[in-house]
Amino acid sequence: MTVREDREKLYKEREKRISDAVSLKKPDRVPIGLLVHYYANRMMGISNKDAITDYSLCLKAFRDLTLKLKLDLAPTPYPLLPAKPCALLGLTQYRLPGYGLDDNASHQYVEKEYMLEEEYDEFLANPEGFAVRKIWPRIATAFEPLAGLPPIYMMLEARGLVMGGGTLAGMPVYSDLLKTLLEFRKEASSYNAAVSQYTTEMAELGFPLLCSAGARTPFDFLSDFLRGIKGSSTDMYRVPEKLLKAIDILTPACYQTGLNIAKRSGNPRVLVTLHRGAGGFMSDGQFSKFYWPGLKKVLLALVDAGLTPMVFLEGDYTPRLEYLAELPRGKVVGHFEHVDLRKAKKIIGDMICFWGNVSAQALIVGKPEQVRDEVRNLIDTFGDNGGLIIDGSVGIPDEAKPENLEAMMDAVFKYGVY
Amino acid sequence: MNEKLVNLMADLKEKETIALVRELIDGGADPGGILDDARSAMELVGKRFEKCEYFIPDLMMAGEILKGISEIIRPLLTKGDASTKKGKVLIGTVAGDIHDIGKDIVTFMLDVSGFDVLDLGIDVPPEVFVEKAREFQPRVVGLSGFLTLAFDSMKKTVDALEQAGLRDNVKIMIGGGQIDDEVRKYVHADAYGKDAVAGVQLCREWIGG
Repeated sequence: MTVREDREKLYKEREKRISDAVSLKKPDRVPIGLLVHYYANRMMGISNKDAITDYSLCLKAFRDLTLKLKLDLAPTPYPLLPAKPCALLGLTQYRLPGYGLDDNASHQYVEKEYMLEEEYDEFLANPEGFAVRKIWPRIATAFEPLAGLPPIYMMLEARGLVMGGGTLAGMPVYSDLLKTLLEFRKEASSYNAAVSQYTTEMAELGFPLLCSAGARTPFDFLSDFLRGIKGSSTDMYRVPEKLLKAIDILTPACYQTGLNIAKRSGNPRVLVTLHRGAGGFMSDGQFSKFYWPGLKKVLLALVDAGLTPMVFLEGDYTPRLEYLAELPRGKVVGHFEHVDLRKAKKIIGDMICFWGNVSAQALIVGKPEQVRDEVRNLIDTFGDNGGLIIDGSVGIPDEAKPENLEAMMDAVFKYGVY
Repeated sequence: MNEKLVNLMADLKEKETIALVRELIDGGADPGGILDDARSAMELVGKRFEKCEYFIPDLMMAGEILKGISEIIRPLLTKGDASTKKGKVLIGTVAGDIHDIGKDIVTFMLDVSGFDVLDLGIDVPPEVFVEKAREFQPRVVGLSGFLTLAFDSMKKTVDALEQAGLRDNVKIMIGGGQIDDEVRKYVHADAYGKDAVAGVQLCREWIGG
């Protein structure tokens, strides 16, 4: 067998290993699927700042990590925000390592009420216009001129388009913006090209990508990016109907792009990240009214399109297990951070594939034996029907000790063969 | 005590609560008394949170109602708040981390439990913790962090307090999404709290009240 044929064979084996686990069939071995942020570049001695500035450095680190640990799936690099396109837009919504944060910090989201309570009606009447004229200028300085953009529908006929469009494009603020956008396009394409080159290279080396695309949860989308935790909380009391309407409007936006990208890529796995629906965050009543219906729509839309939602459940999901059990069998993967393992096995163990959850603490400050024990316990608990993928509880923490990560891998190779 | 006011507020009926406060003020009620009732209502809210009847959205709403009442009452108060606090707690999210939800809940719960809390905000460098610990002289220092990078920031903060000769004067508690006893040992903190209720319990044990 040539090297190439050998790699193709390995690619198929790995893809099958993961798809078997997803559909609750026993694969040859428990698969490993790691969510990686800055761990890869740190291992290679590359600062977080350099990793988000020089994409080839960062992606090489992802490649080297995949090969070194003999992972089943190449980690998806998109949790990292590319610094140059962000800088060109004057993005203020995130703080990035080396740009407002320490060179080795991880990027952090700046939460604010980007939309005020009194702006709901405007948003509901015209979400597109609201995004362009209100939100973009608030999250990126380059877009500030858009706050004064006149109504575009005045240009719905040819003459208005030519005259109005010409006048607009000729105004200094907008011609400057167009120049910035051209620069932005160049930087954004060079990032996209680097990622697609990484994907191709990893496939040629025999490694499928963990996920091809991402989708969002409607409540989190609204709470994170528009109303903030406080705003979305008080909305439940003050303007619940508007909150629900906005969630409804945002729902297709939460999955459509990810669905299209995943379909095009041929990789069915779509990462869906959740945070504010966790137990302890909101009551069961609030979850069932404001959180779950939108989330379920997103997950089912992906499943109906033949895709596999890989749901990252941040926080403690023990109180929400019954909801997850409503999902179609063998079609969804649940990445758990904290959960009562026995209850999880009992309630969702025969419905959805369990992904996780070697504790971040063990990986960072624990000893290899601890990590090994945790892996073994996961395999003992969930391995019987094949519905298990191993990862750290929050993915691989940036500060994980290499020997602990190796212990995690070794334990899977040792105890995880079916 | 005006039980109707306390219950309306603890049940998070914003409009009714504010309307009643205005009605009481117009009727010549003592603004200090209304503030005491608001405090009692917040204690009830805190208890409901402890019992898992209330969650973050409810605490946020309670905070908003309290703000609304304070806006009406504050201009009418002639002298400062004379109530005595149980003891001082200095709190903040450690360097490199800008998450505030968990810290804010602990601050809220300590405040409604009668502690004098100084909240330093987010991304607080060790030297600021040291400086404020000197000025404020807390009995307890609470270090919050959601990201795993907070482990090292917490450790550095504890070390800085040690080097400044302040470590023996304070008890240090840590908390956040990834914190457990292993992390506590690594950080050299005195204790960790798995949630806000546990944080309040620690302060009660250390300070009393």
